[in-house]
Amino acid sequence: MSSAPTNSPVVTDLTALSIADAGRLVARRELTAAALTEAFLARIDALDHKIASFVTLTADLARAAAKQADTELDQGFHRGPMHGIPVGLKDIYETAGVRTTGHSHLRLDYVPTSDAETVRRLKAGGAIILGKLATHEFANGAMTPDQPFPPARNPWNTDYQPGGSSSGSGAAVAAALCMGAMGSDTGGSIRNPAGFCGTAGIKPTYGLVSRCGIFPLSFSLDTAGPLTWTVEDSALMLDVLAGYDPNDQASAKAPKVDYGAAAHRPIKGMRIALARSWYEGVTPDMAKGIDEAVRVLRELGAIVEDVTFPDIWDYHICARVIITVEAHAIHRQEVIECPEKFGYTTRRRFQLGAFLTAEQYLSALRFRRKLQLDTRAAMRGYDLVMTANHWGAPDIFKEPQPIFHFLDKASLTMPFNVTGQPALTVCCGFGSDGFPLSFQLAGRPFDEASVFAAGAAYERATPWRLRRPTL
Amino acid sequence: MKPPTLEEFRARAALTGLPLTPEDIEELHKGYVGLINLMDRIPSRWAWAAEPPHVFRADE
Repeated sequence: MSSAPTNSPVVTDLTALSIADAGRLVARRELTAAALTEAFLARIDALDHKIASFVTLTADLARAAAKQADTELDQGFHRGPMHGIPVGLKDIYETAGVRTTGHSHLRLDYVPTSDAETVRRLKAGGAIILGKLATHEFANGAMTPDQPFPPARNPWNTDYQPGGSSSGSGAAVAAALCMGAMGSDTGGSIRNPAGFCGTAGIKPTYGLVSRCGIFPLSFSLDTAGPLTWTVEDSALMLDVLAGYDPNDQASAKAPKVDYGAAAHRPIKGMRIALARSWYEGVTPDMAKGIDEAVRVLRELGAIVEDVTFPDIWDYHICARVIITVEAHAIHRQEVIECPEKFGYTTRRRFQLGAFLTAEQYLSALRFRRKLQLDTRAAMRGYDLVMTANHWGAPDIFKEPQPIFHFLDKASLTMPFNVTGQPALTVCCGFGSDGFPLSFQLAGRPFDEASVFAAGAAYERATPWRLRRPTL
Repeated sequence: MKPPTLEEFRARAALTGLPLTPEDIEELHKGYVGLINLMDRIPSRWAWAAEPPHVFRADE
């Protein structure tokens, strides 16, 4: 990790700004991209050794990009709300000239020649890339000692895990080591760390954001999206990320939407279906936090009603079969040729797909279609679905870690991977253990706008964004 | 579907083409049995309406 200039109180304060506020200051020339970037590099230098969120810091490239951003502003060229905003990338996003490891021994020396489409879009929007962030190996395996980098830690309590697989992204955003971070979500890998670290994070509609240049885990479920401190900031990042990409076969030609503006829409009259049956068994703190969030949304004018959806375990097993088979197909050659290079959980998770049959895989695909139709039917007359984001506190670090972690509890995030709907994580307070509580809001396909409107309205009405972890 | 015994699973593992250690096989057996038990939830009979939406198109 390269050294950064001396920290100062003014510089430290800059890291607490939202993207929206910092973007406005940069646009008005009251803040330079260089100063903002230096503030984050200094904070990373001072604190990241406690949470190990960065695996590769690209300080020199960030400084050069910030200088370029300021030069453009000097010349009257403003790229938009992300101009000069420092962000990080989960280390499965390919970056031209910068190693992209997937947090794996297998890609330690892999230096791509071009950027992922999402990285290209972020740069085109003026974002400053600070570096690459820790992840569960290939967005799947647990963070274990047999991997090349230390595991990212939860900034609210570093004895605990930050959730995953976008572990470094959640930890870095919560710790204010970057203003936004890219994650990926196949079964909840954006929303889990967002929930456990108390950030916002959106899994966009399947097909809205290009996956071209991002290491795949499961072709038919993978999505890419941002984690940020506020919901509005996720909307601003999605504004530059969304769009058709002919190089991603799942990419959709969806109409352009101003998500940043959508985050300021009123929600009076919005109809929200509460999937309460999915989260029976959450901790009492979580249940209370969500009940209180329902009350706030009703006060804001939304109509929230209990609705029965298909059983949570149906979504869970459906996606688990698909992920297990597709991940095996992607990694089969390497689990045959060099199994010892994978972490001990990753290897077994990738091997398991060899035991499933084509018929079982196709049944899961058929089941996904049925669940998608049944969910759509249950949601008829409603704009959004609301449910818990996770069951309670994150896991503590201990060895050995469970190899098949998905057998004991159904994932609360999985339903929206199965249906492809957009789903947003929103912090709704803190438990007695000090960890964040959070809920999800999911919209109809390609209706991220309603999701952001409700999430941002809730955030503005509550004080939770004022509390940050102390490192 | 009846889950395989560890012995049955070992025989199947030998056909996968994967270089598996005895420890791998034991762990994979646990994972497979867990997955199979949950897969009881997936229907085995389907109407045409529930066919997967993946359609091969010659014009793309």
